[in-house]
Amino acid sequence: MNDVTADPGAETKPERQAIFFDGLSSRRRQVMLSLGDALEIAEPSDAQAGGAVTRWAFDEIRRADSPAGILRLTSTSAPPLARLEIRDAACAADIIAHCPRLDEHQTNGRAVAKIVGWSLAAAVSIVCVVLFGVPLAADRLAPLVPKPIERRIGDASEVQVKTFFRGAACSDPAGQAAFSKLVNRLRDAAGLDDDSMTSGVLRTSVPNAFALPGGKVYVLSGLIDKAESPDELAGILAHELGHLKHHDNMRGLIYNGGTSFLIGLLFGDVTGSSAVIFASRSVVEASYSREAETNADTFAIEIMHKLGRSPKPAAELMFRITGKEGGSGFTILASHPLTEDRLARMTREDHPASGPPLLTDKEWQALKGICGSGKI
Amino acid sequence: MNDMQWAPIGPSEPVPPPLPPSRVDFTGNRSEFRKMVTKGAMLELVTFGFYRFWLVTDIRRHLWSNTSIDGDAAEYTGRGKELLVGFLFALAILVPIYLAYFLVGIEFERWQGFASTPLFISFYAFGQFAIFRARRYRLTRTVWRGVRFWMDGSGWAYSFRAMLWGALVFLTLGLALPWREASLERYKMRHTHFGDLQGSFEGRGWEFFKSAWWLWLLSPIAIVIFPLAPFLYAEFKAREWRWWLDGIRIGGVGLSSDLPHDAFYGLYWKVVGWWCLLSVLFGLYAAGAGGLVAAAGGAPVGPDAIARSIPLLTMLVIGYLALALALNVVMRMYLQHDMWLKALETLQVHDIGAAADVRAGGELASALGEGFADGLDVAGF
Repeated sequence: MNDVTADPGAETKPERQAIFFDGLSSRRRQVMLSLGDALEIAEPSDAQAGGAVTRWAFDEIRRADSPAGILRLTSTSAPPLARLEIRDAACAADIIAHCPRLDEHQTNGRAVAKIVGWSLAAAVSIVCVVLFGVPLAADRLAPLVPKPIERRIGDASEVQVKTFFRGAACSDPAGQAAFSKLVNRLRDAAGLDDDSMTSGVLRTSVPNAFALPGGKVYVLSGLIDKAESPDELAGILAHELGHLKHHDNMRGLIYNGGTSFLIGLLFGDVTGSSAVIFASRSVVEASYSREAETNADTFAIEIMHKLGRSPKPAAELMFRITGKEGGSGFTILASHPLTEDRLARMTREDHPASGPPLLTDKEWQALKGICGSGKI
Repeated sequence: MNDMQWAPIGPSEPVPPPLPPSRVDFTGNRSEFRKMVTKGAMLELVTFGFYRFWLVTDIRRHLWSNTSIDGDAAEYTGRGKELLVGFLFALAILVPIYLAYFLVGIEFERWQGFASTPLFISFYAFGQFAIFRARRYRLTRTVWRGVRFWMDGSGWAYSFRAMLWGALVFLTLGLALPWREASLERYKMRHTHFGDLQGSFEGRGWEFFKSAWWLWLLSPIAIVIFPLAPFLYAEFKAREWRWWLDGIRIGGVGLSSDLPHDAFYGLYWKVVGWWCLLSVLFGLYAAGAGGLVAAAGGAPVGPDAIARSIPLLTMLVIGYLALALALNVVMRMYLQHDMWLKALETLQVHDIGAAADVRAGGELASALGEGFADGLDVAGF
């Protein structure tokens, strides 16, 4: 604070009334202002007694928020909350004219443009990371995730899946043998290690198959019921092996975690609960998932060709289950390519069978009955 | 900070005749506020929401600096940049917490399916902590007569109380809510200071219960007969505000409120009306966009359905964002500006003389709490 002793009477200046808060107490002080080479704030009672006058240099005075009709000032060299309030318009105009840096600290048009510019830069960088950085990181990191960790995550999801499907694994011995034979032939063709995967059949009418982290492949018995030949089932199993081979589970986990965090960063909600975040996440993740599915299809086509069988029956099985998908709502949110597109692709890859059948008729019948004879 | 506790010094002075209560005036210009929030909403759109830190700051600056108590206007000294920095720090802290949450969740799931669901409660606790710390930030940026408000107390202690009371409210199907609010408010106000004056809260849970218990009984009916819901909620909010304002004390200064029980009816119905109008507009826009795309031959059918649905989706997203921002403007106008006004109109301040010569004190708090609250999407007073 620039406290100096006043020298009353040395110079006569027009005096104006104001209210002063010194920032140290809430006392409301009636003061007189005089404009010399600095703004002098004198409390009349003090001044008469030769008391202290506060001096604020004009270029240190800043404007503080105030209601309309009141000019409220502060000074960079005073206590941060010291405030001077001038209610007389003429006096306020006079002081404003004296203070060159009054509004220097305010958010003006330029500051807003700066905020907009930096936000756009941040948004562009986040979008680039989501589109290029996170997929790259997911591709590189997924194979490096230690097997035990992957297996633990797999165990956790296995418990969930079994709770969801009430845990009934099918274990008819002859069917089990046929299933193992089919899986082993595919696994050898896929070049996966013996110990890298486990597989099983769960009893439920839902027609589906999936791969969990840690190399767990499950076929739901609904799919086996709908399948009409070993090739149909084999193509779908080969597709799931493709997911294992490409580490799609871990990739998806890293990718989804990364994107939902980054998109949350963009819109300011880490939990990702708001609608915008949910929608943009869904679109981005669906596109990533479709790409992974397309790659798994490519892998399945290769395996089936290697075994001298056609990939087409598997796509026909899918088509029987889902029907035509296009035109039904927002396909951009679909996690898989449309079944008709997959069927078209596999039909192009259809070669006449050159290898032996994957299972004998008898083995196929045993596999169909793996969950016992009757329907569920 | 406990050495800053306020205690009267010296013998008490003879009691002067009671002065008439002073009023709280609001001098702000409504259309200025509307322009500010409309412009802010547009800027939020082009900055992907980053402008929210500055908009929230501008709203508070407007409301605070136009509110004058005993002839002197308050001031909000927080700045948008502080909120941005607080948000970034909060993210840096939340990320490892989310990772840990994920890993612990896996171990729980291995043990038993869906056993990790209760872990979600830990985020509720964190949210309560954030509410307390965000309040501390806002208070330390609130200045009146050159002296700031400030807070001590512990965010975790508050969160612990909020959790216990939350469980009780859950078990009693909401009946314990008045006592929860009274207890939490007592904790917050006890740790609130203006300079060397200490705050307190004199509202009792029982009083709030007496004034609002019948709303609890009627709430199941409101779920069935939808148009009743805004009335009930407005009624509840008005009673809650009045009870809350009535209980606030800072040193010898007290507040009292004559807020009528039907004060908020109009506000909530205006919000509902705008919401309906904007939804209809959005519906028309969506239908129009769909028709336009179909007319241009881009209907999402056929082999490339996924790629061909992009134009329509883009148009819908733009429409949705416009809808969300328009709703934001509506909510800020009615539920922040007008509600603030309604509450101030009927507010009286007693014994303001006790705040005539208060010694300044208290430290500025960081905006980390606001960052957590933003990151976890929680809000509270």
